[in-house]
Amino acid sequence: MAVLQVKNLTKKFGSFTAVDNISFELKEGEILGLLGPNGAGKTTTIQMLLGVLTPTKGEIYYFGKDLTSNREEILEKVNFSSTYTQLPWILTVKENLTYISYLYQISNRQNRIKKIINNFRLEKLIDQRMNELSSGQLTRVNLAKSFINFPKVLLLDEPTASLDPEVANYIRSFLLEERKKFHVSIILTSHNMSEVEEVCDRVIFIDKGKLLANDTPDNLAKTIEISHVELLIKDGLKRTIEYCQRNKITCKLEGRYIIVDLKEREIPQFLRNIMDIGVFYDEISIEKPTLEDYFLAMVKKNNHL
Amino acid sequence: MKINRIYAIVLRFLFLFRHSFDRLTDVFYWPTIDLFIWGLTGLYFQKFAPNASSIMMVIISGILFWLVAWRGQYEITVNLLEDLWNKNLINIFVSPLKFSEWIISFLIIGLIKAIMSLAFASVIAFFLYKFRILIFGFYLIPFFLLLIMMGWWIGFFVAGLILRFGTRVQTLAWVTIAIVSPFSAIYYPLSILPGWAQVIAKFVPSSYIFEGIRQVIKTGHVSPDKLLASFGLSCIYLALSLLFIRNSFRKVLQKGLVKVY
Repeated sequence: MAVLQVKNLTKKFGSFTAVDNISFELKEGEILGLLGPNGAGKTTTIQMLLGVLTPTKGEIYYFGKDLTSNREEILEKVNFSSTYTQLPWILTVKENLTYISYLYQISNRQNRIKKIINNFRLEKLIDQRMNELSSGQLTRVNLAKSFINFPKVLLLDEPTASLDPEVANYIRSFLLEERKKFHVSIILTSHNMSEVEEVCDRVIFIDKGKLLANDTPDNLAKTIEISHVELLIKDGLKRTIEYCQRNKITCKLEGRYIIVDLKEREIPQFLRNIMDIGVFYDEISIEKPTLEDYFLAMVKKNNHL
Repeated sequence: MKINRIYAIVLRFLFLFRHSFDRLTDVFYWPTIDLFIWGLTGLYFQKFAPNASSIMMVIISGILFWLVAWRGQYEITVNLLEDLWNKNLINIFVSPLKFSEWIISFLIIGLIKAIMSLAFASVIAFFLYKFRILIFGFYLIPFFLLLIMMGWWIGFFVAGLILRFGTRVQTLAWVTIAIVSPFSAIYYPLSILPGWAQVIAKFVPSSYIFEGIRQVIKTGHVSPDKLLASFGLSCIYLALSLLFIRNSFRKVLQKGLVKVY
């Protein structure tokens, strides 16, 4: 069942089209990655989904209800966190969570705040003012804030930016756990492609306001044919480079390693050919295309690089 | 309309009040300084006109009642600015909070601070000059309400402008009410104003109130037509200011709440 349906969503600022007629759905318990280069229209889309930016055209339905006419009821079950917004900096963590909790209908408010503080490991920070926190701690408070109302739909803009790897990993596990326990549906933007691959069931790729792809991370990665073949050359490094240049094969050197970009089916032939010219290698590893390769290819294709 | 959401915003500004030296200064420090300076000036003038004992009363009551209008306006505009400076507007409006609830919370916080400020300043005025605010009796209530209404509509007009143009016009939050003050005839009778200024003063609700305050000091009574004129004007301006801020908010939603700064 779709908890969010977006139909022909468009946003124009004067003659500039920031979001161009996009449609997609978010299913119950699904984690959807919203990807695209800077300025692609991700933040504009999220703002419209939150009702803080009026679309030029299109419809947004949560739980089968139109956002415009059921804003109050819908936003009780939706929340948002972004590393780019702040909570009042002079207030303490506890004061911020307390006043925000009153914006929602929450039974047993104090228990909820305590639980959230515990979940996001904020126990030692509750009496500190926001302006005394590190950027990683601020991100955690922002995330805690977004869970305060038991949201059914969460919109997270770069949720793990500025977190150290251990905490980022904990947050990713927490998101997956919440989804499992409460069927929370999440839309997430991130520039960390391995994070998107790890947590997202599906990814939509937006560029120049247009929705260019909507599929699982694996399927999107599979659309890229090029694999990276990494060889530790024992003898014949120069010959290998010359061979690549002659055959217009992209390669780059990293110390004694050479990384060659090839289509999967071309790899056996390539290996035979370099052996024929007297190249010997000690190690070989083949990296299959990842979501990051897909992202880079799309960005390159659309002339961002 | 949900009380919990209005309470949330009021609570947010009360927390701020507790921590912010600026906000504490506004409520306690400036009224005390005003009372010292103008009260002592009044005492000095009274030496030259010993029979005009009402000079002190007019000055002190002017300071105290002007605080009410000032606080009403200030709490709306500066609290809006607080949320812009903190980039917090989006956190508030991704919640179910309605625009009307947001507006009501500003009115409540203005009311709380105005009462706090007036009460504090009245105690100071009593200790310094033996001035009793209760001499206004029942009239205290309409004077207070009409002046805070004026603070509210000025506050909403300025807040509407800040929403449209961002913090580059933030200085209006501090200066706007000062533009109205000469026409409010706080410390002098309306008749002192030049003819053109008297015409403008007729459209300023507070001018009727301060005329009324002086009338109470002099006769113990105030003509109801003064209160009604002030009330009528304030109702019109308040309605217009609410339409203006509502419209400004809609315009902001066209470009995105995140972009207001």
